Amino acid sequence: MTSIGTGYDLSASTYSPDGRIFQVEYANKAVENSGTAIGLRVKGGIVLAVEKLVHSKLLIPEANRRIQTLDRHLGLATAGLLADGRQLANRARDESSNFRDSFRSPAPVKYIADRLGSYVQVYTLYSSVRPFGISTIIGGVDQDGPSLFVIEPSGVFFGYHGAAVGKGRQLAKTELEKLKLSDLSMREAVMEAARIIYLVHDDSKEKAFELEMSWIGDETKGLHVPVPKDLLAEAEQKAKAALEDFE
Amino acid sequence: MAAAAVYSNPGFDFSNLTRNNFLAEKGIPLPKATSTGTTIVGCIFEDGIILGADTRATEGPIVADKNCEKIHYITESIRCCGAGTAADTEFVTNLISSNMELHGLTHGRKPRVVTAMTMLKQYLFRYQGHVGAALVLGGVDSTGPNLFTIAPHGSTDKLPYVTMGSGSLAAMAVFESYWRPNMSRADALQLVKDAISAGIFNDLGSGSNVDACIITANHTEMLRNVEMPNERVQKERSYVFRKGTTAWKKEDIKKLVLSEEVTPISGEAMDTD
Amino acid sequence: MDRIDMHRLKQGEVNLGTSIMAVQFDGGVVIGADSRTTTGSYIANRVTDKLTFLHDRIYCCRSGSAADTQAIADFGHYYLQMQAQVLGSAPSVLTAAAIMEKMCYQNKDQLSAGIIVAGWDEKAGPSVYNIPLGGGLFRQPWAIGGSGSTYVYGYCDATYQEGWGKDETVNFVKNTLALAMSRDGSSGGCIRMCVITKDGVERKFIPGDQLPRFWEGKEILGEATQKPPAAISAVSDVAPMAVEV
Repeated sequence: MTSIGTGYDLSASTYSPDGRIFQVEYANKAVENSGTAIGLRVKGGIVLAVEKLVHSKLLIPEANRRIQTLDRHLGLATAGLLADGRQLANRARDESSNFRDSFRSPAPVKYIADRLGSYVQVYTLYSSVRPFGISTIIGGVDQDGPSLFVIEPSGVFFGYHGAAVGKGRQLAKTELEKLKLSDLSMREAVMEAARIIYLVHDDSKEKAFELEMSWIGDETKGLHVPVPKDLLAEAEQKAKAALEDFE
Repeated sequence: MAAAAVYSNPGFDFSNLTRNNFLAEKGIPLPKATSTGTTIVGCIFEDGIILGADTRATEGPIVADKNCEKIHYITESIRCCGAGTAADTEFVTNLISSNMELHGLTHGRKPRVVTAMTMLKQYLFRYQGHVGAALVLGGVDSTGPNLFTIAPHGSTDKLPYVTMGSGSLAAMAVFESYWRPNMSRADALQLVKDAISAGIFNDLGSGSNVDACIITANHTEMLRNVEMPNERVQKERSYVFRKGTTAWKKEDIKKLVLSEEVTPISGEAMDTD
Repeated sequence: MDRIDMHRLKQGEVNLGTSIMAVQFDGGVVIGADSRTTTGSYIANRVTDKLTFLHDRIYCCRSGSAADTQAIADFGHYYLQMQAQVLGSAPSVLTAAAIMEKMCYQNKDQLSAGIIVAGWDEKAGPSVYNIPLGGGLFRQPWAIGGSGSTYVYGYCDATYQEGWGKDETVNFVKNTLALAMSRDGSSGGCIRMCVITKDGVERKFIPGDQLPRFWEGKEILGEATQKPPAAISAVSDVAPMAVEV
C-alpha cells in the first residue's frame, strides 16, 4: 500500500492513481484489530457470537456489549470501533421504526441492510468525514425466514449463510465452511458458534475475553434476545473441552 | 389613525379590520371575487375528440371581451378549454403546455393526455382551489382519444362527454339528449355547436361566438368562430346629428400657430460626432 | 361517526356525497359504491367510479371531497408501488391501509376524506379496513361509509352473517347500497362493485334502472304507484353509460 506515492491517503474523497481509496482500506485495518464477530444462518434462525476482548480487569463483566438489538426481530454485531457500532445501531433503529410507522409491519432484514449500506457509503465520499471503522453483521428473521448480511466500511453489503469479521475471521470462515449450516438446529449452532470463538481466540496475544451471544428464531419466537445463561455456560464448557481435544 | 398619515407607525396596519367587521355585522359584506361566466364542452366521436367554447369574457356584469379564445394549446394533439378566473386558466394551461413540451423532449416521445391531466390536477390540488381554473382537457394520444374535466380543487372525471362553466347545465342538457357513441365528425361538431349555443343563449355569463377544435389521431383543426350568431348588423338609422342642430350667435377665429425667432447664445455648436 | 360534514367542504368543492361499502367473505372481499358526484345541487358526474385501484389486490372506496380523496389515492398508489419494489412482493392490505390512514390523520385539518380500504393478501387473506373522517384505522368484517351509510346501519346489523359465500355477499352489498341510495339525496345513479379474491378482481355494474327495489308505498297510496316508472332506456334509445377510469 505504501509503495504507491503518499498523499493519496489523507482524504476519503481522494482516489489513488490505481483507483483505490486508502481511507476506506485503513478503516478495514481498524476492523482487523478488533475481536472476532461471527454470525450463523441456520435452519430455524440466526445466531450471533462475539469475542469481546477485555482490556482491563476493572471493567464490569457484560458491559460494553458489541451485540445490539435493533428491533424485535433484528440484531446486529460489530467488529471495529465500538462507538461507530453504536452510531450505526442507532441509525438502524431509526430506520426500522420508521418502516414500522409507515407500513405497520416489521422491516425486512435486507431493507435495513440496504439502508445502512447506503448510510455507510456516504461516509466514503467527503473529505470532512471519516469512513466507518466497523464491519457489521446484521441478522434477523422476517417474512421470508432468517437472513444474515455483512456491511463493510466501503458500504457494500452481502448476504451470507455464515459470516465472520474481525481479527480471527480467516480461521473462523474456514471453520464455518466445514459446517452444514442449513441442517443445524439453533441449539447446535450456539454450540458451534461458541466453539469457533474459543478456537480463533489467540491466547498468546490477548489475555482475557468474554463470549457474547444472541439468537433470533424458532427458539425465541422470532425475537432477538441474548442466549440464556445456562445455555451459554454449557456452550462455553463444551467449547473449552473441544479446544483441549483439538490441542 | 386620525389625520396622522405623516407620522404613520411602521409595520402592518390592521385598522381597517375593525371597520370591515363592523360593516359585515351591519349586513354589508366584503366585495366578492367574481368568477367569469363561460360555457365549455368536449365530447368523444368516432375518430377523436371535439372541444367547444363560447367567446365571452366578463368582469362582473360587464362583457370585457366579446371574442376571446378559451381553447388553449397544450400540445399539438392535446387542447384544453378553460373556465373560471381567466388569468388562472391562461397561466395554468401555459405552464402545463411548457412542461409537456419538456416532458416530451426528455422522454423522446409524445406525452399522453393523462400526463397533462395529472400535472394539472396536482398543480390545482396544491393551491387548494385558490387557482380558480375549471378545465375541459381533451386529446388523442397513443392510447386513443381521452377526455377529462378538472375542477379547481383538483378533482378529475373521465367521461365520454363533458361540460363546464356557468353554462354547463344548458350544454349538458343538449349532450344528455343527443349524444350517441361513435358519432360521425359532422354530427359531433353540430352537437358541440348546439351545446355551446345552448350556453350562449340561455346563460347570462356566456355569449358571442362558438369556437371548436377537432382533434384526431393525426390532425388537429382549430375552428375559430365556427358559428357567429351574434354579429353586429348595419344600424337601420343613422344617429349622427345634422349640421346646424346647435344654434350659434357669433363667429370668432383665432390663429393658434405662433412663430418664434431663436438666437443662438454661444458661438459654436457642441461637437457631437 | 363517519358522516360527511358538508360544512367542512370548501366553497364550490366537488363532493362525493356517497354510499360506499366493503364486506369480507371466505375467499375475498366485495366492495361497492354508488356513482354520484355532486357540486352543490348539480350532479357533476352520474357514472363516477369511486372504487379506486391501490395495488393488484387492494382497492379503496372513496367518500368526502373528490379532490382530496383522489389525491390521497394517487399518493397511496405511489407509496404501494415503492413498497412493492422494496419488498419484492405484493404489499399487505394492512400496509396499504396504514399508509392511507397516516395521510388522513397527519393532514386531518385540510382534508375531508372517509375511506374504506379492502383487498386480499397472502398473509391475512381477505380484509376490510375503515378509515373514518379524521383518521383512525379499524379492521371490520364489513364497513359502510359516506352520507348514505347512516340510513343503513340498522339494515346491515340485522342482515349480516358470518360464513357467507361470494354470491350472498354480492347481494348484501347490492341491496344495502340500493337502500342507502334511495334514502340519501346525494347518493344515486348506478352501483359499481368489485369482487377481490386471490385469483383476481372482477368488476360488476348495476345500471340505474336495474337496482334492487323495495317497498315503495303501494299499501298506503294505492294502485297508482304500483307501476314502476318507465326506465330511461325504455323511453328512448339513450346509450347506457359504463365508463372505466
